[in-house]
Amino acid sequence: MLNINGLKKTYAGRVQALQGVSLDAPAGMFGLLGPNGAGKTTLMKILATLLEPDAGEARMNGVDLISDKDAARRMLGYLPQEFGLYPTLTAEQTLDYFAKLKGVHDRTERKSLIGALLERVNLASARRQRVGEFSGGMRQRLGIAQALIGQPSLIIVDEPTAGLDPEERVRFHNLLSDTAGEGRVVILSTHIVSDVSNLCSRMAIIRHGEILASGTPQEAIGELADSIWEATLPREHVPALKSRFRVISSQTFDGQARLKVLSKGVRPGEEFVAATPTLEDYYFHLVSQTGSAA
Amino acid sequence: MRNPARTPFGVIFYTELLLNSKRIVPYALLVLFSAHAVMWWGWSAAANYGWATNSDFNIVRNLLGFSFLLGLPIFNAVIMGDPVIRDFRTGVDPLIFSKPVRRAPYLLGKFFGNFFVLVCCQAAFVLTTFALQWFPKSNLVVQPPRILPYFKHFLFFVVISHLLLAAVYFTVGALTRNAKIVYGLAVSFYPLYIAYQLLLLKVLPERWALALDPMLLRSSSIPPHLKWEDANLINQIVVSYDADMIANRALMLLVAALCLMILYFRFRIAERPRNAESFATLDLSTGVDRLYYDAESVQQTRGEQSEKPCDREQAQLPEVAMAGAGGRANFYKLIAALGVEFRLLRAERSLVVIIPLALFLSVLELAFYEVHPDISYEVSYAAAYASSAARSLLLFLFGITVFYTGEAMHRDREVKVEPLLWSAPAPSYVLLLSKFLATVLLGLALSALVALVSLALQIYKGRAPFEITPYLLVYTVILVPSVIFIAAASVLLNVALRDKYLAYAVSIATGGGLLYLYNQGYNHWLYNPLLHQRWTYAELSGAANSGVNILTHRVYVLAIAALCLALAHLCFGRKASKGFGAGRGLGSAGWSILAAAVSVFVALCAVFLIIQLQT
Repeated sequence: MLNINGLKKTYAGRVQALQGVSLDAPAGMFGLLGPNGAGKTTLMKILATLLEPDAGEARMNGVDLISDKDAARRMLGYLPQEFGLYPTLTAEQTLDYFAKLKGVHDRTERKSLIGALLERVNLASARRQRVGEFSGGMRQRLGIAQALIGQPSLIIVDEPTAGLDPEERVRFHNLLSDTAGEGRVVILSTHIVSDVSNLCSRMAIIRHGEILASGTPQEAIGELADSIWEATLPREHVPALKSRFRVISSQTFDGQARLKVLSKGVRPGEEFVAATPTLEDYYFHLVSQTGSAA
Repeated sequence: MRNPARTPFGVIFYTELLLNSKRIVPYALLVLFSAHAVMWWGWSAAANYGWATNSDFNIVRNLLGFSFLLGLPIFNAVIMGDPVIRDFRTGVDPLIFSKPVRRAPYLLGKFFGNFFVLVCCQAAFVLTTFALQWFPKSNLVVQPPRILPYFKHFLFFVVISHLLLAAVYFTVGALTRNAKIVYGLAVSFYPLYIAYQLLLLKVLPERWALALDPMLLRSSSIPPHLKWEDANLINQIVVSYDADMIANRALMLLVAALCLMILYFRFRIAERPRNAESFATLDLSTGVDRLYYDAESVQQTRGEQSEKPCDREQAQLPEVAMAGAGGRANFYKLIAALGVEFRLLRAERSLVVIIPLALFLSVLELAFYEVHPDISYEVSYAAAYASSAARSLLLFLFGITVFYTGEAMHRDREVKVEPLLWSAPAPSYVLLLSKFLATVLLGLALSALVALVSLALQIYKGRAPFEITPYLLVYTVILVPSVIFIAAASVLLNVALRDKYLAYAVSIATGGGLLYLYNQGYNHWLYNPLLHQRWTYAELSGAANSGVNILTHRVYVLAIAALCLALAHLCFGRKASKGFGAGRGLGSAGWSILAAAVSVFVALCAVFLIIQLQT
């Protein structure tokens, strides 16, 4: 269980990245959702022992991640948003190096672990290829493989599918789901709502360094039951509708506006039909309450 | 008429000035060159021989020395080597080249923008010497203040020479898009230039030699009928530009233009094909991981995935034993990290050029000239061969250690592997020491290679006796501690400055400045960690009764090296566990401070002992 309590971080230049973040994440996939610049990466870096918070605490199974960094690193698997690997080493050599740094010193054990990891991330046939020759997806999968070394109880993945093609993304999602099914806490930081709705049993929405909501995606969607209406209208009707109703998303399609409106139990107009609420609706509803996001 | 500042050339030129104004290198060079000017004003040949510091002859001599010595050709490469590479490295190239900017204004804007910055930095030297006319020193002769000669000679002797070098570096950098090749070229400047002088210019008639000398160094010599001590006559010399010199400058401008023209015709803005592309098509997907096209099936499949995430067959990860945080576990981690660092070091392509070059130049004297043993102490040929090669090698060891320590220290950040390593449960000293030890190992490997070649040359020339002991003695007492010291100081410099190129510039400037001072006779052991010009084999072997002195000095140097490493560990950017105790013993910072304190104590003891031995 990961407990975060009152984490604050202000960068030089008075940018308040985190303003007292508190969260509880049980075993399983936990999605941290927020727009760009919300403070997700700052929070991930603090949990990954790379950044010092100004205040607050973070504990994983009772271990203080802020003050006892050595112990924290022993239970941690981290895949940053942007990372690289030594291009001249092969996939096998890369994993061997990280396994040694994590303290897997027995040669036979290490070899079988690396073999299993490469199998799991579908890179077994590329084990002797240099990492510099890998595609983006292959590198990303090697990244998650190194994060899985040493049975980490906390895995942090920061925007892992950014830049991946749809096929690689689906593959990567499956990999993360498999990992979370083994009793670990997996924190998935992302700004892609569908990643969270597909993968995470619990989630939180962060914006401007503050947690706006947390719970399960089902609870979040349940809050919007019988409240979402959609219609496709001429664009000139939009300003009038916006003044009368709570428009949570507006997309232009084929010269017309496709609107989603929040209205509890009341149909906004003839042209509107009831829509099944999604996590994306909840996200837009929440962030549009505190500022424009859609 | 079109405003030149709004042309593509003007915009790119201005942007280069803006970018350079935000870099630390130009400011460091400004300070360095001003410091050089002060040093050359008060402690140069002018002070020794009584020449007027602002005489025409001394101005030209100083400008030529400044232009050639103390690494100015290397600093030229630092400014001019990577302006185009920077655009490709930062990924701004597609944004620029998708605008209506042609190659000529792009390349010329880049070139002249950076060259202007370089000239401004160099001008710090001439402006400082110019200003020092009004600050006479008791032992210096100063003529009435002069203005024009400073700027005229600066333009003629420095700016044009460096325009040629800048064009070469810029062309090589833009065409290869590899900064290391440019810096390799810059480092090779001195051996190449000396070889050019010895092999070509020396055999040509004087006029031709003058016309073809890119640095115009020959114009700084005094007329044949004068001696260095003829200060009054030398002060009256007026340096004028004869036809040969003007032809030389015209030729250099022409060659610079030719370089830029080659660049214009050869430069391509297209992305270079990489091996990665061929691997991007490697299909490792399983049957389940399909690519879906219609939204309905995507939604359906996503639903299935979220409901049954573990349906797929997957490789089970075996349980493995994890070592704790003890000294033995960390030792294994250090060995693993050292193995990887050394492997990465060996993969540096520049080593293919630098190691043979260092090897060749270190044994050049042994191979082509006669090395005589010091007969006053009955020193053998083996000792003479070992000493001669070690003296030459020391300078290369300095350069190689500084360069590759910088590469190792910044590699993790450059390839973006740093967050992965820093979140691994390995102590910071493992990450730092592995880089330090890898460069030390490289230095030791080069030293061993030079020793073997020296021994082979000694055998080939039949200079008996063939003993191993002198080699071991010279290399272990002089070279090994020196390499350890240079590597440790470089680690500290790179950690403190956090910029590889700034660390190189500071190292070269410090090394060059110290070398200059040592050659001027200021080579006290306290600030002479490499013992440059302060040892003979006889002293080393105890024949001259100062062996203990040298050994104690090496302890002093090793203690300073340990101090550097402790401070580097203390300043290392990686966050460590907090606290100086709190029931867990000393923290990371506590160990650093303790190690630093012990190092200072040992260094002070060594200093005290040396002073006692000397008195």
